[in-house]
This record gives sequence, structure tokens and C-alpha cells, in this order.
Amino acid sequence: MSERQPEKPLPEVTPLNKPFWDAAARHEFVVQRCRRCGRFIWYPRGSCPYCGSRDLEWTRPRETGTVYASTIARVVVGNSPAWEKEMPYAVAIVDMDDGFRIYGRVLGIRPEDVRPGLRVRIDFEDLASGVAVPVFRPLGRAPDP
Amino acid sequence: MSADVAIIGIGETPYSRARADRGEVVMSAEQYASWAVSLALEDAGLSKGDLDGQGLAVAGTEWPHSEIWSAEVVQNLGFRPKLLLRGDFGGNNAVELAVQAAAAIRSGLVDYVLLLGADSPMTPFGTQTARSWRYDIDYMRPFGLMGFVTLAGLMMSRHMSAYGTKAEHFGKIAVTQREHARLNPNAYVKAPLTMEDYLKSRMLSDPLRLLDSVMFVNGGLAVIMTSRERASRAPKRPIYLLGYGLAHNYAEGDPAMPDITTTGVKVAARDALGMAGKSPGSLDFLQLYDDFTGAVLMQIEDIGFCAKGEGGRFLERTDISYKGDLPVNTGGGLLSNGQPGMAAGFVHLVEAVRQLRGEATGRQVSDARIGLVSGLGGLAYGNNLANAGALVLGVM
Repeated sequence: MSERQPEKPLPEVTPLNKPFWDAAARHEFVVQRCRRCGRFIWYPRGSCPYCGSRDLEWTRPRETGTVYASTIARVVVGNSPAWEKEMPYAVAIVDMDDGFRIYGRVLGIRPEDVRPGLRVRIDFEDLASGVAVPVFRPLGRAPDP
Repeated sequence: MSADVAIIGIGETPYSRARADRGEVVMSAEQYASWAVSLALEDAGLSKGDLDGQGLAVAGTEWPHSEIWSAEVVQNLGFRPKLLLRGDFGGNNAVELAVQAAAAIRSGLVDYVLLLGADSPMTPFGTQTARSWRYDIDYMRPFGLMGFVTLAGLMMSRHMSAYGTKAEHFGKIAVTQREHARLNPNAYVKAPLTMEDYLKSRMLSDPLRLLDSVMFVNGGLAVIMTSRERASRAPKRPIYLLGYGLAHNYAEGDPAMPDITTTGVKVAARDALGMAGKSPGSLDFLQLYDDFTGAVLMQIEDIGFCAKGEGGRFLERTDISYKGDLPVNTGGGLLSNGQPGMAAGFVHLVEAVRQLRGEATGRQVSDARIGLVSGLGGLAYGNNLANAGALVLGVM
């Protein structure tokens, strides 16, 4: 048996989601936008879930949003034990200013201080070489030391 | 709607956590399937051959299985059904398959459908596991989310912050359902539970505590449905399907940013009650899908017993025990019965039939004539649960 430390789970890169993960690796946040109805779409889809159009483009939305709901992750369930050493941490539903919703960890603030209404912005955290995921940090506060 | 389809047989095996060290039964999903089918056939006064050329509706499993699972199940059982239905609706499996079965019987395609949910999540073997959703694999696990536990925590957290709901409100659901489980010979969890115990239980994902959540058990359940005409010849009192409703990918409000405290049961229950020509107040009990306490509270609101957000205060003034004003999850629900994997929704359906037959010894709702069963399944991204359904069942 391997004695290696557990690693965080990595996404499965597919033809659909490759533009997102390529941009994320550069710490750039891109999402799909429907060219017909103009809505921003998260997570990546094969067609617009609002109007059905397949005419989608990748674009950089505003990177700010507002916490809609939050919780504090304290135990690993159905995920890699690698997260354990970072617990407890806040996980929030964030409603982005461009009208889409995304889940993520909120870092740079005490987990219990993350509440609905908190304004946050997108940042990135590297999970492995060449793989980064969005996280959130509070707006108007100093980032983590 | 005319009550032209009825349930005439139920089977429910004992549950197990497969703790051989405690003398518990260790069995696989196939064994539970066979056991549950035998019990249901006996209950309905039917033999295996009576189901040749009829319908079989099979729920999927947590326990690893083949993709073409229903064909494996019919071969294992030696059944020769004309119609084969397969449930991949999670916690809505029982309700959804019952609706499909009713449609098939009503159309004349078959006279009988046997619905089967059997699962052994506590007895995995080999290296296979059921695959999760791509949005979980790609945009939840790498983002630090813990699946069901995180999403349940978010729903309850939102309910508390938006409406002032308190931990004790969720606790009342856990405590009352445990009292019911202690009266139900078949329920797995029997230890007494006080509000103090509940409040002290381990926090998993604030405000979700261990005692807000289900735990897996192994078990099997089966239900036999038929036409009204055939039901009148069944040995046990037929339980009629008076109405049903289903909703998938329901979003309350903006579909991009819905209210996560409102479930699709709002629409499903409205449709089911409308079809039955009944109001919420006419229901003698509720069997509500309860993978966590918050789901029960949200559904009480969604069905219309109080306004959205008032569920906590409603619970303060309402006795939800089997003797109370609004009996809820009278067998203990999944919270205290245990969740038999993907067969979980059958627990609520079977308990509803027992109540309506007057067979719920020790926890019988007095003069139970009409009840509602709900299902909720499939964790949605950015919302609550993707599959929702409701059945209104009654006696004639």
C-alpha cells in the first residue's frame, strides 16, 4: 500500500469543460454565455439551460458576487481525505453579479463570519500542477497573510 | 380521478448495518430483493407465476451493479415480465415508479406491477462504486464540497438565516421520529433520543448535525399494484392511489438563482391533492422523504400547512407524533429507520399502506383514511433536490 499523502480530487477534463479548466490554470475565470438570450451559464453545458440555444461563447464575467447561503465543512464525506487538514472551512453558494450561481470555499475570513449578504470576489487556488479551482475571498478585506 | 389503481401487497425485510460482530445479518442486494419479493407476494396472496407477463419496476442501487440492472434482476428472480421499469430517481424511486406503474395498469398494458427496492450499501465488495454526477465530480468535489452533507447544511443554513428557524425546530423532527422508531418493530435505530442529545450531536456541516442526517442500512422492500377490479379480490384491504404529482428540476423563482428552501414537492403535492380532490387539512398523516430533518420542515411548508419560512414556528405549536395533530413519518422515517440506499422511498410508501390498513401496531394513527407520501431525490447543483413526487393514498 502507498504511504503517499491523500490528494485533492481533480476534475475530469472533457471537450465540454476544457476551456474552463485551461483558463482556471492561468487563474482566469471564464464561463459560458448564451449568444441568443445573453444569460451567463454555470456549470458548463452543451446548450443554454434557459433558452435551449447551442450558440454559446466563453467569456469573462464580473468576478464579484454575494453570499446567498453558507455552511462550515467539518467532516469529509464522499470526498478525498486530503480536505481534512483544512477543516473547518466555509462553503458558500454565491450569486454572482452577472446572474449565475456557483459553489465554493470562502477563504481569508473566519468561517463563522461568512453570512448571506457578504460581498466576495473570485480567486483561484492550485489543487495540483496545472489544475486550479475558484475560491472566494471577501471584498474590501486584506487577503490571507 | 377515479381510484382505479390500488396497492394490494407490501413486503419489508428487517434492516441491518451488516455488523457481523454484533450478530447482524450480512446479505447482498440480490438476497434482499428475493426476500422482499417473497414477502410482498405472500401479503398479496399471489404466486410468482401470477406475475408472468406483468410488470416489474426495479429501483437502482447504491451497491455497485450493472448498467442494465433490471435485466439482471429479472434473471436473478426468474421473472418473465412484459413491462420492465427501472428507477434512477434516488429518493423519489418509490413514488416515481408507483406513478409509472399506475399509468401502465390504467392503460391496460399490464394488470399487475411489482415495485422492488432492494439495496445493500453497507455490504460493498470489489472496487466498483456508483458514479456520481459530473457536476459533483468536476465542480463540487474539487471545490471542497462534501456532497449531500454540504448541500443539506446549506439548505438548513439558508432556512435559518432567511426565516429565523432554530436548531430546536429541526431537533423536534429528529426526536419525534425516534419516538416513532421505538414503536416500530422494523426500524433499525431504537435508542431513546432527547432534545439535549440532539443538540449535543456532532456538527457535520453547520447547522447539519449527525442526528439531522440519515445513515445507510441494508434492506429490501416491495409493493404490488393492480387494477381496482383485481384489487377487490385481494386478501388484504386495498389501498387506492387517489392522486399523484411529479416535478423534476423544479426551481422556485429565478431558475438561475432559485430559492433553495422550496422543494418540487410544492408542485407535486398540489397536483396530487388536486387530482384526489383533497386539501392538505384532510390528510390524516404525512410520510415525508427525510434524508435530513430540514427536508421535512421545508416540505411541511411546501404542502401548504403553513407559509414558507413559518415551518419552525408551526412545529412549535404542532404535535407531529402519531397521536398528534399532524402525524409525520410514523414509522421513524429514514432518520431513525435507516436509509436502505436507493430503496429508501419505499420505506415511506410501505408505512403509509400499513397505517391505512390499520396494521401499524403500536403507532397506529386513529381512523387513518387518507395520507400523503412524498419523495425527493438527486442533489441538484445550485438548488435543492432534482426529483420530487407525491402520492395521495386512501381507503374506500
